[in-house]
Amino acid sequence: MAFGVVLAAAIPLMYVIISSLGLDLAAWQGLWNNRLPGLFWNTLSLAVLVAAGCFVLGVSAAWWISRREFPGRRLATWLMVMPLTIPTYVFAHIYTVLMEDTGWLGQLWVALFGSAPPELFNIAGITFILTLAGFSYVFLLVQDALSRSQQDLEEAARIQGATPGQVFWRINLPLLRPAIAAGLAVVVLHVLSDFGAVSMLRYQTFTLSIYLQMNGRFDFNAAAGLSMVLVALSLTFLVLERFFRNRQRYYGSGRARRILPRRATRFETAMIWLWLGLIALFSVFLPVTWMMIWSWDAWLDNLIDAKFWGYVRNSMTVSIAAASITIVAALPVALYHARQRSLISQSFLYASSIGFVLPGPVIALGILAFVLANVPLIYGGLLVLVLAMVVRFLPLAIHAQESAAQQLTPSIEQAARSLGAGPWESLRRVTLPMIRGGIVSAWVLVFIDTLKELPATLLLRPTGFDTLPVRIWIEASEEMLELAAPAALMLVVGTLPILWFLMRPERSR
Amino acid sequence: MRIRFLSLLLAVSLGGSGVAAASELIIFSGRSDRFVKPVVEAFSQQTGIKVVLHSGSSTALLNKLKLEGERASADIYISNDAGNLQKGTDLALFKPAKQAVAERIPANYRAEDNSWLGLSARARVLVVNTGQHETDFVQSVFDLADPRLAGKLGITHSSNESYIAGVTVYMLKAGNDKTRAWLAGMKQNVDGKVFNKHSKIVKAVAAGKKSIGLVNHYYIYRYLDKHPDAPVAIRIPDQGKEGMGVAWNVAGAAISRYTKQEEAAERFMDFVTSAKGQALFASANREYPTRPGVPAAPEIPAVGSFKVADVPMADLGKYRDQTLDLIESVGMP
Repeated sequence: MAFGVVLAAAIPLMYVIISSLGLDLAAWQGLWNNRLPGLFWNTLSLAVLVAAGCFVLGVSAAWWISRREFPGRRLATWLMVMPLTIPTYVFAHIYTVLMEDTGWLGQLWVALFGSAPPELFNIAGITFILTLAGFSYVFLLVQDALSRSQQDLEEAARIQGATPGQVFWRINLPLLRPAIAAGLAVVVLHVLSDFGAVSMLRYQTFTLSIYLQMNGRFDFNAAAGLSMVLVALSLTFLVLERFFRNRQRYYGSGRARRILPRRATRFETAMIWLWLGLIALFSVFLPVTWMMIWSWDAWLDNLIDAKFWGYVRNSMTVSIAAASITIVAALPVALYHARQRSLISQSFLYASSIGFVLPGPVIALGILAFVLANVPLIYGGLLVLVLAMVVRFLPLAIHAQESAAQQLTPSIEQAARSLGAGPWESLRRVTLPMIRGGIVSAWVLVFIDTLKELPATLLLRPTGFDTLPVRIWIEASEEMLELAAPAALMLVVGTLPILWFLMRPERSR
Repeated sequence: MRIRFLSLLLAVSLGGSGVAAASELIIFSGRSDRFVKPVVEAFSQQTGIKVVLHSGSSTALLNKLKLEGERASADIYISNDAGNLQKGTDLALFKPAKQAVAERIPANYRAEDNSWLGLSARARVLVVNTGQHETDFVQSVFDLADPRLAGKLGITHSSNESYIAGVTVYMLKAGNDKTRAWLAGMKQNVDGKVFNKHSKIVKAVAAGKKSIGLVNHYYIYRYLDKHPDAPVAIRIPDQGKEGMGVAWNVAGAAISRYTKQEEAAERFMDFVTSAKGQALFASANREYPTRPGVPAAPEIPAVGSFKVADVPMADLGKYRDQTLDLIESVGMP
C-alpha cells in the first residue's frame, strides 16, 4: 500500500525525467553555463537569508512566550501563528502597495527620512516578505519543543555557575536544534517552491525561471532540466537535514519536572510586547487592516455577491477533499517508516517528498500529462485538481503522522494482536486513536496549504472554476484591490477555526 | 473511515459548482476580465448562447490548450497580444475563421490563414510631462537611449508582453545591432529601476518623478480621465518622412481547433467583428477597432493621423523567441 502511494506521488517526477531526456548535451551545457550559476546564487542566497530571518523571529518569539508568564500570552501565541493564513503573494501585493510613495508606509517613510521609500523588487524585499510569511513554522515547532523541555539540565548548569546567556547557548540551543532544524527545513522548502511572491516581485529563483521557461517560450525540456536541478538541490538539503536531526537524540526521564514559565517583571512585559507587537504589526495587523478597509469598500459597492460565495465554496471543497484524501494516503507510508527503519522505508519517504521539492507548475503539468495519456475520462473534473494537491502536500502529512507514530511503542500493538485483534482492528482501535493528534495536525497543515495554493490550481482547475487564490491573482494583477481584498480576508477568516484545532493539543497539555 | 473516504471521493469526482456544462461556449481569456465581460454579456444577450469565461495569463492558457490537444476544453481563445495568437497558430491550435468574417479585418491584423483575427489595436507611444522641456529632443523611441535621459526614463520590466512586441517591431525595422545598442542605452538610463505596471509610469511622469516614459497609448487617457488637469501628454514617436512609424499591437480572438461548438464559436467571431462588437471590444479600453470605419474613442488621436510601422502582426509571434534572446543578451531588468 505504501508502495502504491509512493508510485502515485512519483508521477510528476517521471514526467520531469522523461521530458529532460529530450534535452541534448549542447542544451544542458547552455543551461549550465548561462542560467544555472545565477539561479543557484539567487535561490540559495534567498533561502539562507529567509532562514536567518525566520530563525530570529521564530526562536525569539517562542522563547519569550514559553518562558515568561505575561498578560496576553495566549493572544501573543495566536498572533505569531496567524501569518500562516496569509499567502506569500498576498503579502507581496499588500506591501508593494503600502510601500509606494502614496501608500501608508511610503508616506511615513518620506515623512521620516525625506527620501523615496525603498523598492521591494530585490532580494531584501523578497526576504522581508517570505520571512513574514514563514517564521510561524519555526515558532510553532520551537515553542512545542520548549514547552516540553525539562528543568533539571538548566538547573544543573546554573548550579555549576553558568550565566543565563551561557545556559541558552550551551544547553537550550543544542537541545532545540532538532526543532529549529525541522522548522527551518519547512521554511526553506517553502522558499524553494514559492511561486506567488517571487513572480509578483520578479525575483528569479528556480521555480519562477521554470515557470517562465514553460510559459514564455513553451520550452518544456529546458523547464524539466531546471526542475531536475532543483529536485537534486532540495533532496540534498532534505538528506542533510535528516542526517543532522538523526544524530541528535535526547531522552528525558519521565519524572523530571517541566519548566513552568516565570512571571515576567513589568519591564520584561513591556519589552516582550514591544518586540512581539512589532512582529505582529508587520505580519498581521497591517495586512489584515488593509484587507478589511478594502473589503469594506467592496461591501459598500455590493461587490460581494453570490459569485464571491461561489469562490469560497470552491476553495473549501478542494481543500477539504485534498486534506482528507492526503491524510489517508499518507498513513501507510508514515506507519511503514515508523515501524520499520530500512533502506526501503527511507527511500519511500524521500520519494514521497517529491511533491514538496518540485515546483507547483511542474507538478500540475506532470499530472495533466499523465491523466490525459492514461485516464482521460476524469480530465476536466475536480478530481485531477485534488489529485495534484494530494501529491503536492503529501510530505507535510507524512511528516506530521510519522513523528506521532514514532512515539508508539510496538509492544502496545503486539498486546492488541495477542489479545486476538486482527490487523484492521488493532489499527482502528489502538494505532489510529493513539496517533490522532498527528493525523489532525496533518489534516490542518494540508488544508491550509491547499487553501493558499496558486500555481497548480491555475493550470488544473476545471473550466470556470475559480477559487479564492485564483481570484486574488486575477484581481491583483489588474489592480482591482477592492476585489482582491475580500478574497484574501476570507482566506484568513476561513483558516482561523481550523488553526484552532492545531493549537488545541497545546492547551490541554 | 473507508466508507466516509469513498463517499467523499464520489462527491469530489461528481464535481462542484461552477464547472461548465456541455452546451456552453467556453472562452479562455488572457485579456482583463473587465474588458471582456461587456463583450461577452452583449453576445449572450444577442444570441442566447451562454458563455463561461475562464480567465488567466495568455501564455499559461495557450499552454493548457496545447497540452489538452484533442480534448481541448476551450472553444475560443482571446489574448491581448498578437505574439501569443500567432504562437497558437504555429502550434496548430486554432482553426481558421470564415473568409467572409475574416475579410472585415485588414490582412495586416490577422493570421495569414485567418486562424486568428486582431480585434483592437494599441500604439506604443511616449508619455511626457508637459511642464518639463528637457525631453523635447526625443522624437524617436531610439532617442530614449540618449544619456541625457539618465534617471528620467520610465519603462516596464522586460517580460511585459507589450514591451516584447514593441522590441520585435523595432528589431524588424531597424535591425538587431541598433536595437541591441538601444536596449543597452535604456538599461543605463534606468539603472535597474523599472516599473511593474504601465499605469505607474504615467503616474510617475505626471508627478514629475520621471520626465518621459514608453507606454501603450490608452494608459495616458485612462489617467487623464481620472485626473483631467494632470501635466501629461502623448507624443507619437518616429513620425515624418524618415520615421519608421509607431509600433502597433493587437488583441484578438481565435477558434480552438478541436472545438465541439463550432457554430457557436463562429457566431462569436461574427459578433466581435460586427460594427457593434468591434466598438464594444475596443472602446472598453480606448483602443482602435481594427475594422475600418468603426469609430474609436474620441479623445485618442484619430486613426490615420499618424504613421504606423508596416510590420504584419503575425510577425510578432514569428520573431518572438528571437526578441527574447536579444533582450536576454542585453540583460534587461
